[in-house]
Amino acid sequence: MKIDDLTRRTFLNKSIAMSSMALVPNLMSQAALAGGHAGTMVIAAPATPQSLDCEYDVSLGTFEAVAALYDGLVEFEKMPDASVPTAQREDTAYYADKVGGVNMKGKLAESWELQPDAKRIVFKLREGVMSNWGNELTAEDVKWTWDRKFGLAAIGGFYTKVSGLSRPEDVRVEGKYTISFNLDNPNPLILKIHPNLYNPIYDSTKCKEVATDDDPWAKGFIENDSAGFGPYRLESMARGQQAVFAAREDYWQGKPAIDRIIFKEVPTSASRVQLLQGGAVDIAQYLQPLEIKGLKGVPNVAVETVPASFMIWIELNAKMAPFDNVDIRRAMNYAFPMEDVMSSVYQGLASPLDGCMPNIYPGFIGGSPYSYDPAKAKELLAKAGFSDGFESTLSYNAGDPVQEPIAILYQSALREIGVNLNLEKVPAGSFYNAVSQREKAMIFYVDSPWCPDPGYSMTLYFDSESFVNYSNYVNSEVDGLLKIAAETADEGVRLDAMGKAQEIVMDEAPWTFVAYPNYTMARNSNLNGWTYYTSNNIRFQDFDKS
Amino acid sequence: MTGKFNLFFRVLKKRPDFMLGYIIVFLIIIIAIFAPLFAPFDPIKSDAKNYLKAPQWPYLMGTDATGMDVFSRVLYAPRVDLAIALLGTLLSAVLGVILGAIAGFYDGSGKVAGFGSAFIMRSADVVQAFPVFVFAIAVVAVLGQSIQSLVMAIAFVNAPIYLRLMRSQCLSIRRMRYVEAAYLAGTSDIKIILAHVIPNSIAPLLAQLSVNIGWAILLTSALSFIGAGVEAPTPEWGSMISMGFQNIVTGHWWPSIFPGLALAVTVLGFALVGSSIEILADPVRTRKLLLS
Repeated sequence: MKIDDLTRRTFLNKSIAMSSMALVPNLMSQAALAGGHAGTMVIAAPATPQSLDCEYDVSLGTFEAVAALYDGLVEFEKMPDASVPTAQREDTAYYADKVGGVNMKGKLAESWELQPDAKRIVFKLREGVMSNWGNELTAEDVKWTWDRKFGLAAIGGFYTKVSGLSRPEDVRVEGKYTISFNLDNPNPLILKIHPNLYNPIYDSTKCKEVATDDDPWAKGFIENDSAGFGPYRLESMARGQQAVFAAREDYWQGKPAIDRIIFKEVPTSASRVQLLQGGAVDIAQYLQPLEIKGLKGVPNVAVETVPASFMIWIELNAKMAPFDNVDIRRAMNYAFPMEDVMSSVYQGLASPLDGCMPNIYPGFIGGSPYSYDPAKAKELLAKAGFSDGFESTLSYNAGDPVQEPIAILYQSALREIGVNLNLEKVPAGSFYNAVSQREKAMIFYVDSPWCPDPGYSMTLYFDSESFVNYSNYVNSEVDGLLKIAAETADEGVRLDAMGKAQEIVMDEAPWTFVAYPNYTMARNSNLNGWTYYTSNNIRFQDFDKS
Repeated sequence: MTGKFNLFFRVLKKRPDFMLGYIIVFLIIIIAIFAPLFAPFDPIKSDAKNYLKAPQWPYLMGTDATGMDVFSRVLYAPRVDLAIALLGTLLSAVLGVILGAIAGFYDGSGKVAGFGSAFIMRSADVVQAFPVFVFAIAVVAVLGQSIQSLVMAIAFVNAPIYLRLMRSQCLSIRRMRYVEAAYLAGTSDIKIILAHVIPNSIAPLLAQLSVNIGWAILLTSALSFIGAGVEAPTPEWGSMISMGFQNIVTGHWWPSIFPGLALAVTVLGFALVGSSIEILADPVRTRKLLLS
């Protein structure tokens, strides 16, 4: 082709064709990874794990990694989800006729004996379970794991406390495959705490091998690699890019159906959508409501949403005026435009937060006293001495796409009752610091209590000494009720106490109650086996490809 | 004066793109002043029942995810963007002119003055060594997110430009006979700088002002896009693009595209005006254009 023949149209057409050809091999290899090789599953996630040590890291990528690399002692039995027939979920209901009131099956433990007074439980471990380093599971591994929680006293410190354990000696090796947990006081969570994702069991033989005098708990090793009894091992990890997990041939339950998991970091949800639509990935995590809606009906894509343990709310700082006044807090709830938020922001993929604990957990009583009523809100403001309104600031996470539109809708609604709200956008990287410092007047928070128990949930957020009580809420009656629930195994007494506590908290409104967002699985339609967990993550070992 | 206007219009006739630039800038200023008259809706009032409506009557540019009218917000945005850009650029010009005049006038002088001149220039080197955007983010991070800190960020990152322009003008003007005469007549340095040096150096700076205003609008929008600019839901083009960006993949293109177009056209307008001033300020280039 001579230069003279090169018209602008020809140039553009040929350039586009050449560029597309350059992209095709990359896309095809991705597609081949996703669809052509049945042994590989590619996941597009907001972030790769920052650390693999669940003692310190609570990032999204870490949850998925821990679930793949480690097993715990027990797990909940599964049941079909009522709204999504192709999905399973944990059976977290209360069963009076079952041990500990829970419907559980053994994982690393094959059986257990719970004392009726709920002060001692003995686990009998499975024999012949091997770690990814070829070491057999023994009671020493469980002992070392819990000693580590006491020793480091970070996130593990929460678990020792909530389990009712007072000292490392409370966890005793009774035999090569027998371990006991012994409490000073009855604790209703003595069994229920063990399926928690962040109670995995470490291969202590390997950990002791790599430990040093400066690092007796193998922090440096566990942060970057794994020593556990889970179905996968870490093949490689490039933080910020991808982590690759390989199925273990010698996993005690049999090798998982998917040989290899490629966990890719794709920070923008729009990009994750496009990758799923194009078949380059099998799962696209954490999409926005509009994107989820847009995926329905796309060929080869299945989108399922289920009620979840997530809650989103706005902390009203009880130590900062005017939110130290209970009528102001109530007014803020009466002024919240719930219906607008549910329809425009969540697109129907959430339900109103009409309680202060997950509505899928046993013991939830629900029935919020609040509805959108600006007149009632103004009345309460006047009663509190703020008939002219007031000014405040709402801080929101720049990294959560639903928080800004909710904040804007709330700001508009509050303007109607004379409350002038400034909006402060906090970078995602520093948002958690902003929450935990408890110095903001109003700030969003999204969380889910993993243990499906009313006492656990309520203690986490409303115990005056809880580190997660970010609203600085203090009520001695609630503290007393939480103490009752923590020190008895009588489920009737507990449910009664927790019911009262929920009523008090809803009435005193330490939060603006926003929503229960659903959990969504957006996946390649040939992927089967999804189970919903209260920790709101996936377990790679559940999946297979048709 | 009539002669200057004639010259101006002859240049515009020769270069219709400059005319377009002036029309754009004029329109933007009119829109900024009279936005409350033109805008059909309150730009910060959300209306969830009309969220993400496509462009249609009465929402000429559609609505965003919270139901705010995009057209009204696009019209109100110049008030914020222009105000920040103008203030920031003027501040940078004042700062740059003063420091540049001092640096240029005392360049190569005796100990203290010469050291002062060198110090100013090396400080400008340090500021300009940082990528502009990164430096602006750092300034906003230190001063906190507010309109004032955006103005300061723009002033800091642009001041070295005027500083260098002024200095280079000073270096040649200080050797002029009339400056020597003023010096010999006993006029103080300050008076010489204010009365002779600055007025005779100003022309190229005026051209730079217009281009810089356009860039300052772009910088303001970029900072708002990443969340370091104005607070939501203040109508501002960059923050509107950021808020609407996540909706593009779901097919709702209008919350981002319309403010993006408005931003592009505005920056283009200021760039064209700046180019025209550059030619008008140079008689040689003006003559060359008119004779071409």
